[in-house]
Amino acid sequence: MPKISVTIDDKKLDVDVGKTILEICKESGIEILTMCHLKGLTDVGACRLCLVEIEGINKLLSACTTKIAANMIIRTKTEKIKRYQRITSELFFAERNHVCSVCVANGKCDLQKLGYKTEMDHIRYPYLFPECNVDTSHPWYVLDHNRCIMCTRCVRACGEVEGAHNWNVMNRGYQVRVISDFDTPWGESVTCTSCGKCVHACPTGAIWPKAIVQGQLEKKPEIIAELIEKRKMNL
Amino acid sequence: MSKKKIATIWLGGCSGCHMSLLDIDERILDVAKLADIVKCPIVDGKDLPEVDIVLVEGSVTSDEHLREILHIRKQAKALVALGDCAVTSNITGMRNYFDLKEVFDTAYVNAVSNDKEGSVPDHPELLKLRDKVVPLQEVVKVDFVIPGCPPDADTIFYVLFEFLNDRIPNLSEVKKLRYG
Amino acid sequence: MNRQDLQTIIYAEKAKEQNNKYKHKLCVCCGAGCISSGSEEVLKKLQEEVVTRGLEAEVEVIATGCMGPCNQGPLIKFLPEYTIYQKVDCSNIKEIVQRQLIEKKPIEDLLLFADSRTKPFIDAREDPYYKKQMKIALKNCGHINPERIEDYLVHDGYHALDKVLFQMSPEEVIAEIKQSRMRGRGGAGYPTGLKWETVYKYVSPQKYVICNGDEGDPGAFMDRSVLEGNPHRVLEGMTIAAYAVGATKGFAYIRGEYPLAIKRFELAIKQAKKLGVLGNNILGTEFSFDVEVRIGAGAFVCGEETALIASIEGKRGTPRPRPPFPAESGLWGKPTLINNVETFAGISPIINNGGEWYSDIGTPKSAGTKVFALAGKINYSGLIEVPMGTTLREIVFDIGGGIQGGGEFKAAQTGGPSGGCIPAEYLDVKMDYESLTSLGSIMGSGGLIVMDQSSDMVDVARYFMEFCMDESCGKCVPCRVGTKMMHDLLKKICEEKGTRIDLERLEELAVYVRECSLCGLGASAPNPLLSTLRHFRHEYENRITE
Repeated sequence: MPKISVTIDDKKLDVDVGKTILEICKESGIEILTMCHLKGLTDVGACRLCLVEIEGINKLLSACTTKIAANMIIRTKTEKIKRYQRITSELFFAERNHVCSVCVANGKCDLQKLGYKTEMDHIRYPYLFPECNVDTSHPWYVLDHNRCIMCTRCVRACGEVEGAHNWNVMNRGYQVRVISDFDTPWGESVTCTSCGKCVHACPTGAIWPKAIVQGQLEKKPEIIAELIEKRKMNL
Repeated sequence: MSKKKIATIWLGGCSGCHMSLLDIDERILDVAKLADIVKCPIVDGKDLPEVDIVLVEGSVTSDEHLREILHIRKQAKALVALGDCAVTSNITGMRNYFDLKEVFDTAYVNAVSNDKEGSVPDHPELLKLRDKVVPLQEVVKVDFVIPGCPPDADTIFYVLFEFLNDRIPNLSEVKKLRYG
Repeated sequence: MNRQDLQTIIYAEKAKEQNNKYKHKLCVCCGAGCISSGSEEVLKKLQEEVVTRGLEAEVEVIATGCMGPCNQGPLIKFLPEYTIYQKVDCSNIKEIVQRQLIEKKPIEDLLLFADSRTKPFIDAREDPYYKKQMKIALKNCGHINPERIEDYLVHDGYHALDKVLFQMSPEEVIAEIKQSRMRGRGGAGYPTGLKWETVYKYVSPQKYVICNGDEGDPGAFMDRSVLEGNPHRVLEGMTIAAYAVGATKGFAYIRGEYPLAIKRFELAIKQAKKLGVLGNNILGTEFSFDVEVRIGAGAFVCGEETALIASIEGKRGTPRPRPPFPAESGLWGKPTLINNVETFAGISPIINNGGEWYSDIGTPKSAGTKVFALAGKINYSGLIEVPMGTTLREIVFDIGGGIQGGGEFKAAQTGGPSGGCIPAEYLDVKMDYESLTSLGSIMGSGGLIVMDQSSDMVDVARYFMEFCMDESCGKCVPCRVGTKMMHDLLKKICEEKGTRIDLERLEELAVYVRECSLCGLGASAPNPLLSTLRHFRHEYENRITE
């Protein structure tokens, strides 16, 4: 494969063409914060955590959706980017009702980890305290909108990998919600195959299996990519 | 060097953070070498004197809490928000999605365990709840926060010890930042 | 139908026009503005009146598109005298016809701007309102019947298409557009020729041309008026563009709130196909191009090109990160040219008169003319078209007739929710892309809201923030939560409950949302806030409680 040279965080690298900045960084051990990215799913650039500075481009670009190009000089950890990542993290927490102490994902939550990584010790913005439903109608799983960050990983896992298209998004602005079918209770969905991919794709405690309590949650988001790889195998 | 003065306050919280504070165990002796603990909940009811450091547990849920925290702010050189309730309003804030009346009715009138005469208690001595619960930083300037529900005893000790030695603690640096 | 057939029709129509049996043409404005003030009734009554008086042999009554001063409607115009009557009521039609057509003594009290000019002009072209204007995109709007393709043909309609197809190569068309230095009229001002060239260069068996008519800025109605008043002009522009970039299929995305524009544009497509200027083998050549209308369902964000494309594809109308730009990967992943209505409306004059002619109009960096929709506390609100570089003062005072009720000009808001406010000290700013950007505003699509001293700038910022908050698609965090936070903080300051810390947070959030948002909606949402903070900071400071 042809190689091109780029500079990321003052490190000169020879990398494959055709990959995204995020893929290159992951391969090269350069940490980039992400929330809506999940290996195996189409990247949408929604969480804005992976924004990087590229010399010669006057706006920040999301690493997950931007293809690397020759001679790019990329910076991933400038003071500005770190500051913005912390604000993003704060806005995630302030948007809905993330009460870690009563959450099933406490201690195993990507959102918590994001908070630690962005050194967010408190949230400077007023909490919005929206009224959010908890859908317990599915026999095995729960959807708790209080803990949803609208990364849409479940939507993409369901549509792109399972092909069921149970999940979608309704409303707009801060009132967006993930919905099952046409906003019917999850348990009454005619498209859901109960495959559980969304449970593993969900980075927080928004979708979780009913039979567990705090401390027992085990999510394996990597199974999405593994499944895709296994399907490619000629068995 | 004169000894510093420390106080701890209990607002709208479950006292779990104070339990955690007690879990610093024998290290309280290290604290005692550097500071006098001049006020704590339950053990004394006196007015808060001027102090160097005050650890405040819990959120602002009533008018009384608001009056108290404003007074504390005046008396303390450094105000430390202790625990998730003080920092984020946490569980105490979970009533914020509802009307206050709805909350009272659920607890005192419509609850299954209530008898038919169930009514919302209304006595002048009782706290007047505010419409919305807010964390400390929404009403006063907070100098330092220790999130966690409750924060680890180690974390509390670390923060206290740093302050007592005139250093600014940094939770991220020592990997002690934790929520929930 | 081939080229000869079309020319036969044009000659016939022109001959008809020249040997016109009619001595007078009576144009009744039937743009959405005038219709809402009752012009359809006026049209009916006028037709009846003409028949009653037995004048139908010498007076032709037609319905036209927008004439400009919308708040003076219903407007009627007598040609060839160019006498315009304003606020025409069914009750004074008899008298108008009697005095204007029979006695030849116009009723001065009912003439255009009679209530504000000491002496209104019998020939409206003499009025500074029209004199200072220069109509290119809006040319023929208000003179021709938008529902008759023949009216357009008589006024050089599809002449540019004919020229392009028979005399020019796609490269030459692009060179002409590049020479004109025209910039996209949708708001960002990207050079049109460059965009065309980029799409042209991508090799693909299928390319698309999209016309963006999802005009959503509060107080802006340029695209609506063009689509209603002269739909064929837009269609011709699209067809020329398709020829230049190599596209065979086009979509006109028009917002659902513009039923009349949709109706007239769809009619235009039908007529154009019938005459062979659209569809398969246009004018007998190898070139085929078809256009379909897509109706927007009321989401402001669908004016953003990638969201618009998603919407045409039948998906949820949310933007996606660029690059790749639509020129490379647009509709269904194919190279796509997407231009605004007004941009397409400006194409055929450039082809007819040459790029150099167009580039001589306006300022060195912003060529041509711009349509503005005047609204707010201005005397003559409505639609105007002026050369780029006309000052704000000329627009507001010479053309717009100054501030209502003799009030004092405080600020002009340009660019809608993505733009900013220009305070009185910059009244002499030349209206072009660069000057407006340097003042913290933007040209935008051309909405211009004038405010007087009674306007509260913090509340103006709050209003626009509320708009962006409601219209955010909710995909990316900065826009979804950031606009809500900023709105709440602005509301708090409006209610005089905000603190200095709130103001600091507001400013920090504004910069964050501008830099981090996924699309233009979020990136420009803080503009009204930042520009009012820049020019009217004291109004914020005065509201702060310590």
